[in-house]
Amino acid sequence: MTAPLDVPGAAEEAQPEAVAQTGGTRDRGRSLGQIAWMRLRKDKVAMTGGAFVVLMALVALFAPLIVSLLGHPPNQWNREMIDPALGTPMGPMGGMSGEHLFGVEPVTGRDIFSRIVYGARISMLIGFLATLVSVVIGTFMGIIAGYFGGWVDALISRLMDIFLAFPLLLFAMALVGVLPDAAFGLQDNALRIAILVFIIGFFNWPYIGRIIRGQTLSLREREFVEASRSLGASNFYILRKELLPNLVAPILVYSTLLIPTNILFEAALSFLGVGVEPPTATWGGMLSEAVDYYDSAPNFMLAPGLAIFLTVLAFNLFGDGLRDALDPRTQS
Amino acid sequence: MRKKWLGLAAAGTSVAMLLSACGGGGGNGEGGGDYSVDNSAISSIVDQSKEQGGTLKLAHSDQFDSLDPGNTYYAANWDFTRLYARTLVTYPQKPGDKGQEPIPDLATDLGEVSDDGLTWTYTLKKGLKFQDGSKITSEDVKYAIARSNFAPEVLNKGPNYFFQLLDAGDYKGPYKDDNLDNFTGVTTPDDRTIKFHLKKPFAEFDYLAAMPQTSPVPADADTGTQYQTNVVSTGPYKFESEWTPGQTLTLVRNEHYDPSTDPLTRNRPDKIQVQWKQEENDRDKRLINGDLHVDVAGLGVEASARQDILRNEDLRANADNPQTGFLLYFAINPNVEPFDKKACREAVLYGADKTAMQGAWGGTIAGDIATNMLPPSIKGYKPIDPYGTKGQKGSKKKVEAALKECGMPDGFSTNISYRSDRDKEKKTAEALQQALQQYGIKTDLKGYPAGTYTSEQAGSPEFVHREELGIIAYGWGADWPSGYGFLSQIMHGDSIKPAGNSNLSELDDPEVNKLLDESVQTEDPAARAEIYAEVNQLAMESATFLPYLNQKALLYRPEELSNVYFSEAYKMYDYSALGLEQ
Amino acid sequence: MIRYIFRRLAAGVVLLLVVTMVVFAIFFLVPRLAGIDSDGLAARYIGKSPSPEAIAAVKERLNLDEPITVQYWEFVSGLVMGQEYDSGTDIIHCDAPCFGYSFKTNTEVWPQLLERLPVTGSLAIGAAVIWLVAGVSIGVLSALRRGSLLDRAAMMTALAGVSLPIFFTGLVSLALLSYYWPIFPPGGSYTDFTENPLAWAHGLVLPWVTLAFLYAAMYARLTRAGMLDTMGEDFIRTARAKGLPERTVVTKHGLRAALTPIITIFGLDFGLMLGGAVLTESTFSLPGLGKFAVDAIRGSDLPVVLGVTMFTAVFVVIANLVVDVLYAWVDPRVRVGA
Repeated sequence: MTAPLDVPGAAEEAQPEAVAQTGGTRDRGRSLGQIAWMRLRKDKVAMTGGAFVVLMALVALFAPLIVSLLGHPPNQWNREMIDPALGTPMGPMGGMSGEHLFGVEPVTGRDIFSRIVYGARISMLIGFLATLVSVVIGTFMGIIAGYFGGWVDALISRLMDIFLAFPLLLFAMALVGVLPDAAFGLQDNALRIAILVFIIGFFNWPYIGRIIRGQTLSLREREFVEASRSLGASNFYILRKELLPNLVAPILVYSTLLIPTNILFEAALSFLGVGVEPPTATWGGMLSEAVDYYDSAPNFMLAPGLAIFLTVLAFNLFGDGLRDALDPRTQS
Repeated sequence: MRKKWLGLAAAGTSVAMLLSACGGGGGNGEGGGDYSVDNSAISSIVDQSKEQGGTLKLAHSDQFDSLDPGNTYYAANWDFTRLYARTLVTYPQKPGDKGQEPIPDLATDLGEVSDDGLTWTYTLKKGLKFQDGSKITSEDVKYAIARSNFAPEVLNKGPNYFFQLLDAGDYKGPYKDDNLDNFTGVTTPDDRTIKFHLKKPFAEFDYLAAMPQTSPVPADADTGTQYQTNVVSTGPYKFESEWTPGQTLTLVRNEHYDPSTDPLTRNRPDKIQVQWKQEENDRDKRLINGDLHVDVAGLGVEASARQDILRNEDLRANADNPQTGFLLYFAINPNVEPFDKKACREAVLYGADKTAMQGAWGGTIAGDIATNMLPPSIKGYKPIDPYGTKGQKGSKKKVEAALKECGMPDGFSTNISYRSDRDKEKKTAEALQQALQQYGIKTDLKGYPAGTYTSEQAGSPEFVHREELGIIAYGWGADWPSGYGFLSQIMHGDSIKPAGNSNLSELDDPEVNKLLDESVQTEDPAARAEIYAEVNQLAMESATFLPYLNQKALLYRPEELSNVYFSEAYKMYDYSALGLEQ
Repeated sequence: MIRYIFRRLAAGVVLLLVVTMVVFAIFFLVPRLAGIDSDGLAARYIGKSPSPEAIAAVKERLNLDEPITVQYWEFVSGLVMGQEYDSGTDIIHCDAPCFGYSFKTNTEVWPQLLERLPVTGSLAIGAAVIWLVAGVSIGVLSALRRGSLLDRAAMMTALAGVSLPIFFTGLVSLALLSYYWPIFPPGGSYTDFTENPLAWAHGLVLPWVTLAFLYAAMYARLTRAGMLDTMGEDFIRTARAKGLPERTVVTKHGLRAALTPIITIFGLDFGLMLGGAVLTESTFSLPGLGKFAVDAIRGSDLPVVLGVTMFTAVFVVIANLVVDVLYAWVDPRVRVGA
């Protein structure tokens, strides 16, 4: 059902944000996906990023298995690793050894490796779900604004401006502060995760919304949309059958680029103590505890910091590569 | 676009650099070293001197609840307010147990009790003046009691013992009723005599008279919640100018203070400065390098400075590690299943690993393991340990026996509540969870904000029952240094309240209630101590308390300070005695 | 021009109104929807185990038992026209702009906000200078030497920069440059500019650089993309064809056009930052607005959180307005278009 894409590349120049609704003419007989994949495969950096993303997803998925093989239960205390008077890990390098790959936490002696592995679950879960929320709202609002134009567009565009102006972090902190521990039929961590997904996703939709709006604006002037319209197709039909399929590529690209932003956001909230409740391991939460030990147990801060950094970087590299692959303008 | 691995390579270098920094930085001691500190300010007055002068610099990592002596519940502030707000009774400047015995301050003598025990009488000394030179009268004391205890809609931060004890009918407080004569709980037959009329006898009334709430307040200077910005001084120091909360507070000498009326020497420095909201690690560093004299909160240094002090012999020589009088415990609620069965409660008591909980608070420096519900400094303390286990690590055998007896040999599930913004309490809850888990007792952790913990969650029995909070993390310090001051709020049946409850075990044992009631009608302190010992025994036998730590603080006293000693009454350095070496 | 500014002002007021609605919803409406009754909400505004009398007093002060529309009206009018609080003996006038009253410390929030503003301002301005200079120049250079080693290295660093959480870079820089090599003071040491400008700058170097690193990375990416777009435009070709020196083409024509979107984003970022660089201030324990809000959350002092949030929103709106006006001044087409 996807629309034919053999439209001359003239519009590309005019639409700087244009991503991949074209390209068919040059490589006749290959689908857009195949072309993009070919390009992406040549981009070693993006592929490395992609591989790391897949790795982290697998780590999150199989956390219990990995930990049972290489670590200790993430919430298990190992007091024998801790100096009773100072509270810091004994042994060199913050207790690093074959037994504890990344060392142990001060005070509790919990295995840092296992907590990093389990922390990946929360980061990935919230990163993905929040992005999903943003994409759903953003796509819907963006298409409506771009397609109908006029006052609808003006209203939604203004709304997007307003949303971008909100002090998100403060809002998130405030919401977690005022809400009870059980509400909307959820409680404890389920509620916390729901709140985090909602806040991060709900306030970030304009990023997707703006891009979709721009794409829709250019698409609606195309012949195939005009043709549908002249054949008497309803607006709903055009939106769903003609526009949406052509927006899949940009949605994919910008979702990939939004996920790392959301992962950073979740880490920030956990760092500020308004994330998921302990003892559940989160990368941001580990970093906030590491603040007190930055001078005596650097491994405690390096492990979660690098986990966040590498994961976010991998998503960004992959997302950039994906955009380049799908965007004919940037090929070298 | 082609990309290279530059970024990643750069990241790699920084890791290597940091790790080598770690190796050299010496963050990893061999463990179990000798970290004993000097402790001499606990048993003696360090650097006694009569010198006057200098500016005493204090700092707080947050701020006091209020500087208004009638509107504060922070022990540190009760110690601090003595610099500008004298009370009817106070505590002597003596280290050790003697520092807990009340002595008269504004009053000529300790309280004189009537034969029926219902009236306590104090007489003001002659020549007492406010900072403006006007005479302090008994009416000013009466007004202070009225505003601090009978107007909770305005001043709600302090305790309300006078409200509970005084026979005042339905007096509405001075802000709603501007005729002070309607306040019959306190009468003032003449300018110097103050009579407190009680509903029932209360032998420990002198301790109440030592609270900052008895510090006189001139009615025409009272500005309600804003009085803290301009407290009218009765002590050796006064506010230099109107104080804005959060701004540095400067106290200067009060020329109308007459040291000859004062049993204490509390006028050594020329000036006293308090800075608020000083970041903890920064505060500790300044304390160690002498830039600052006292951490006025009195809770001790943080993790980072603790390591610095313990690893350095010279610093250890200026440090004290006293007990703070604060007992940390878990309440086990017998109205939450399966804790209605005593054996199930005992399973938790036997299963707890107290060394892990001690570790959660920061190890041996952070406290001594507690085995019963009285802090050692309180008269009547006996080192009983009804649920002791080897090494305080828990006993598998005893837990299994208890579980079998309670009919749940495979364990059970319950919840542990804690204050989510208190990291150490959170860690302790995790420690307990870990320990119990190995015996099949599965627990879920429930964190609530400290702000609403006692009003809405742990302090609301209805909430506790509904949410099945079987084990509740808590800590308690005495409002005055006696068994009643410590025990009554957390184990007397009458203390159980629908909101703001502090008897979290919901213990309503007639024997305990009777003994506590008896104690405050017993005039002989030694006899009272015996009663407290008995109450402690009974409370432990109820298996509704899991005490685990007698908290200790690591206090540092810079070289410049003179007359430093640890006050057993306030459980921190006595700020009124401090001087500076010139 | 006047008409344009007037229109933007009107839009700014509307924006402010929407912001108050959202803030009101978060602080008063959502908690009620989540099942907290008016007593519970009042308790949250007091913090620290309040007595029933205190709850009743606060409930009345915040109109928590009134219909939601009345509550909102009181909330907004309080901001604009001031509020009154009962101290027991006197009425405290919290003059407009009244950003609330902390029942926990019995103080007005507004003066406390003002007191912390210099810290946040110092942080934001210093960092902004660094990131604008570094970010824009790196972006321009990269764009002009597209594909060069410099370009690739810069863009890789920039990508790493936007992937690093600021609280991690902050901690690493503290560990290395304050603890291991004690070049800079540890976290929490802020000296006021008026007291000692040198100590002020010395203490802020690490936070400035840490914060600027993230934003410089973002701005370098943006500038580069913008420059690449504009340098391909017709008017640049025209300029070149006219024989103008390349330097003039780049600075006078290319940069000017590429910078316009950057200015918009800068306005937004800077406005948000003046409301508290929450993460940077927390990491370095700087006593600014962001740290104030975080501490207030931990200490259950909700009126302060509300105050900081509103304050930030106001800054963002003002920054937006300034940018709009600047824009119109730089580029006359905007006045007509909008």
